[in-house]
Amino acid sequence: MTTAEPPAAPRRGFGDAALCGLLIAGLALYAATLASPYGLRVLTLAGCQVLLVLGYQFIFGHAGLLSLAQGAFFGLGAYATAILGTRYHWDFAASFSVSVLVPLAVAAAVAVPALRLASHYFALATLGLAQVALLLVLNAGEWTGGAIGLTGVPGIAVLGETVPRGLPLAATVWSLVAVGACLSWRLTHGLTGAAYAVLRSDAIAAAALGLRAGWLRFSAFLLSAGYAGAAGALQAHTLGVVSSETLEFSLMVTCLAMTVIGGSTRIAGALLGALLLTYLPEWLRFLEGYAPLAYGAALLATIIAAPEGIAGAIEHAVRRRARPPTPQRPLALAPRRSRPAALEVRGLVKRFGGIVALDRVDLAVEPGEIVGLIGPNGSGKTTLANLLGGFVEPDEGVMRLGSRGLRGLGADRIAREGISRGFQTPVLPPRLSGLELVALARTTTAGRIGFLASLRGADAGYRRRHLEAEALELLGGVGLAGEALRPCASLPPSLAWRLELARALALDPGLVVLDEPAAGLGAREQAELAQRIREIAARGIGVLVIEHNMPFLLPTAHRLVVLDRGRVISKGKPKDVVQDPRVIAAYLGRERFSA
Amino acid sequence: MVTILQLGLNGLALGAAYALVALGFVLVLNATGAVNFAQGDLVMAGGYAAAILASALPLPGLALLPMAVGAMALLGLAVAALAYFPLMRRPPTAVFVSTIALGLVLQNATLALFGPEPRTAPPIWAGEPLRWGSLALSGQALAIIAVATLLVATQGWLLACTRLGRNLRATAQDREMAAALGIRVNAMIALSFALAAALAGAAGALLANQFFVTPSSGGALILKAYIAVVIGGWGSLRGAVLGALLVGLFETVVAAAVSYTAASALLYAALLAILLLRPQGLFGEAAGRRA
Amino acid sequence: MSADLLELNELSTAPGTGAGLERISLSLRAGEVVALLGANGAGKSTLIRAVMGLTPSSGAIRLAGVEIGACSPAARARLGLGYVPEGRRLFPGMSVRDTLLVGARSGRRRAAEQLARILDMFPDLEPRLATPAWQLSGGQQQMLAIGRALMGMPKVLLLDEPSLGLAPMLVDALLSQLRALAAEGIGVLLAEQNIARALEVAGRAYALTQGRIVAQGPAAELRRNAALERAFLGADIALSSPDTTTQPESPQ
Repeated sequence: MTTAEPPAAPRRGFGDAALCGLLIAGLALYAATLASPYGLRVLTLAGCQVLLVLGYQFIFGHAGLLSLAQGAFFGLGAYATAILGTRYHWDFAASFSVSVLVPLAVAAAVAVPALRLASHYFALATLGLAQVALLLVLNAGEWTGGAIGLTGVPGIAVLGETVPRGLPLAATVWSLVAVGACLSWRLTHGLTGAAYAVLRSDAIAAAALGLRAGWLRFSAFLLSAGYAGAAGALQAHTLGVVSSETLEFSLMVTCLAMTVIGGSTRIAGALLGALLLTYLPEWLRFLEGYAPLAYGAALLATIIAAPEGIAGAIEHAVRRRARPPTPQRPLALAPRRSRPAALEVRGLVKRFGGIVALDRVDLAVEPGEIVGLIGPNGSGKTTLANLLGGFVEPDEGVMRLGSRGLRGLGADRIAREGISRGFQTPVLPPRLSGLELVALARTTTAGRIGFLASLRGADAGYRRRHLEAEALELLGGVGLAGEALRPCASLPPSLAWRLELARALALDPGLVVLDEPAAGLGAREQAELAQRIREIAARGIGVLVIEHNMPFLLPTAHRLVVLDRGRVISKGKPKDVVQDPRVIAAYLGRERFSA
Repeated sequence: MVTILQLGLNGLALGAAYALVALGFVLVLNATGAVNFAQGDLVMAGGYAAAILASALPLPGLALLPMAVGAMALLGLAVAALAYFPLMRRPPTAVFVSTIALGLVLQNATLALFGPEPRTAPPIWAGEPLRWGSLALSGQALAIIAVATLLVATQGWLLACTRLGRNLRATAQDREMAAALGIRVNAMIALSFALAAALAGAAGALLANQFFVTPSSGGALILKAYIAVVIGGWGSLRGAVLGALLVGLFETVVAAAVSYTAASALLYAALLAILLLRPQGLFGEAAGRRA
Repeated sequence: MSADLLELNELSTAPGTGAGLERISLSLRAGEVVALLGANGAGKSTLIRAVMGLTPSSGAIRLAGVEIGACSPAARARLGLGYVPEGRRLFPGMSVRDTLLVGARSGRRRAAEQLARILDMFPDLEPRLATPAWQLSGGQQQMLAIGRALMGMPKVLLLDEPSLGLAPMLVDALLSQLRALAAEGIGVLLAEQNIARALEVAGRAYALTQGRIVAQGPAAELRRNAALERAFLGADIALSSPDTTTQPESPQ
């Protein structure tokens, strides 16, 4: 049992929260004092748009996928409420629930095939979905009123009483918006938000951390649909009418514009974007038909010059004056679990087109053993590392860790199963801090990540501090405790390798594969790296080191395996291997030449 | 029998025009890896260019065509400058969004300048329908097919047999290596955009006679182009043309047999089915599964 | 005022994959074949890429006396640098003829003449002018890549590990071609892992380790240099000296 002091980190998102608070306070004041009935109506509609954008942020901002179906989900929610309200006189609670569930169901049905597609296909699939929805609505005239739409949608009825228009309606809608915003905050701040950031920026890094990319994308898509449905329902109640315009592409573009201009990952961004693009046409009445033109130009300008939107720009400016960190109580940590397992590779073959990159390679690493893999350029070392990491599938052969077969698992699954891969150029998401990265890696083994987990508080509050404490301990083990809060991009290579090592260890691996870890390191760093590798091995974890740097590798490795043109040409103790004439010939091109 | 022939001809004509749109789409895709969502709006702009030129100059459609195309090529350069080059180093989603934005600007600028009423461009073939025995075939449809075929063939010749074409292909396949061979890569990219816009412009001028053009016409077109490219195989020029012809035929035949709405619905449904079952289309790259 | 065709002075790059280059200075004269030797990660490829402008660098690079450090890769190619990258990087679907023509920097007639000359040099390519590049064998692909670079009539030819993946006999043929090219007045800078063969064809060589030059001189001298072996295998592999490094014992 060890105790560790969790780091005192400034809470991320302070700027975001402050900005939100300011905006809400301003709006409340405006609503209570200055607004005319028309003004309140616009305010209410703006609230619906905020909810829509909050939803879109999940899939577009956090998951980084261009979904073009957000408008369709909005429309589905609006029509559901309208139909249930005008035809069947359902009350608010019931029709609202259906308005949320219908888009959720559609999203769930479409998500499984759609999310497997590469990004340009995904956009098209969602666009196709939106078009089908529009056609459906236009042609189910009996239910939907066709191109004319439906009128007479009742107001929000709670317990038999209809909420009066004006301030009460605005307050009701905005209360729901506040609920949505709090939920969104809970779900996206903390480690889940960090997980999405990694997923967006580098799919390989995400896989190496063992993150379940598919589940993360799926939940983002579903949430976006649910929020859109809710927003649509509220708009239907507010306007009293629903028309097929809600399903047209122009609404989708407006939503996109609001999200990008406001800021695609910040709650305040949703507020700013929705408010701005709802009020601007009101203020610029005299520009009448030019409003969409202005949107387009603003969207273009923003995506070029301010990719994080207005909220992002503001937050960067505010960041300097963030609140000082508050100290935390020490936490007791459970002992780290170890999963020693032997790596067994037999008869591995990998072909790329006509070229055989690996030709019946056999390799074994026992727990606690340090095996060095060497070979001239083009010998297949990197291919082997990619196969072991699960980034490429072998054509033939056996790959096993302990009793577990590794073929066909995929990189993130292999990371969770116990093989940690360190990369030649460390895959460190630039804006995350080292602490967040390692804590994120811990969630793979020590907790769950994702929206449901966030909801349950699995990554917030106590649990998060626990994860961060474990992360800090790991970082201390590689000598990086003092730099834990620095963003990854700012770490020089002499420190980056430590973080890469800590990340690899955070997954509680049975085997660590290091790809040229000594590259770019000075002599002292190399000595320290060698020491750390020995410590890892002493804990019973197997280490496979792929290297060119002989002075580094030879004293460290227990055994060497030599690859040349995809075949193993020698194995054994280092001092024997370097004197093997076949190895010499492979490296120098001919048998050793000397005077 | 006559109607089937006429229908087929109309379908091919529509498909031929779509082929020009899809071809431009793939040109930019190959050169930059980015989706040009404004391609449909460029077609609309081409239609307007032809319509405006016609009202200003008393020339036949065939003479106006090169002028419209030339104007559109310049517009293509503007698209490259505004929506692509500033975002070159960002992920492809950024260019997707910027071209959506630019398309929006094009649409609304057109609306503001020329109003929402539909316009037409003069026909390429202004004469009587061609008679062949008891058949009367629309000359315009034939003319569209002829012009489109000429343009596609010219573009194919350009890419395959000229030095410029070789440089364009090299840039599209490996930008860094092309630069290391002395090719002015940015100029090639700008040229790809100009070519794409020129093709879009031609399509617009051809389509604007039979189908009126309004500022919002571009939206449906981009979807058709996208579908054609998916059917044919993402990144394949041949596939884009073939896919477009198929889309044009399908749409025309089903619209005549059932209704235009049914045609659209079935088209989208077919798209979703293709994405599900065979995302690589007829000639395209292997699926595009996620990492 | 040197007769150097290519001159590098204190060339440095930031560390990326592997060590950064540290103040590399070297020179190449017309008609010379100069070899860059080193294990992978030593910096050979980085050096070639830096000369070509594909990797940012500081320090001076002069081609025929003209400073090219501020030029883009395309400009450097037009000024007379020919580049044959590691792994060849041919355009997969392009025919042999088109690939060669893409490398040409001059007008149609001169390009046609140059094409004929390249086909003389690599007769294997002549019957395959219409074949797409991906269908060629490894050796033919390498010839095509070199031919493509030569079409631009470069003053200096940069080759990055051309022998990679080629059978020994082909490597021999390839390297003798390089000697012939040098005889025509081109300067050849050859980065190679295959030390023995490289030193047979080169007049001079530089050995790199961790981004630094650790040995340089005439090829004949370097062939006898034991430091070279140590740099590559990290242990003195001469049979006479005993092994002094201690080996850890494997667990269990």
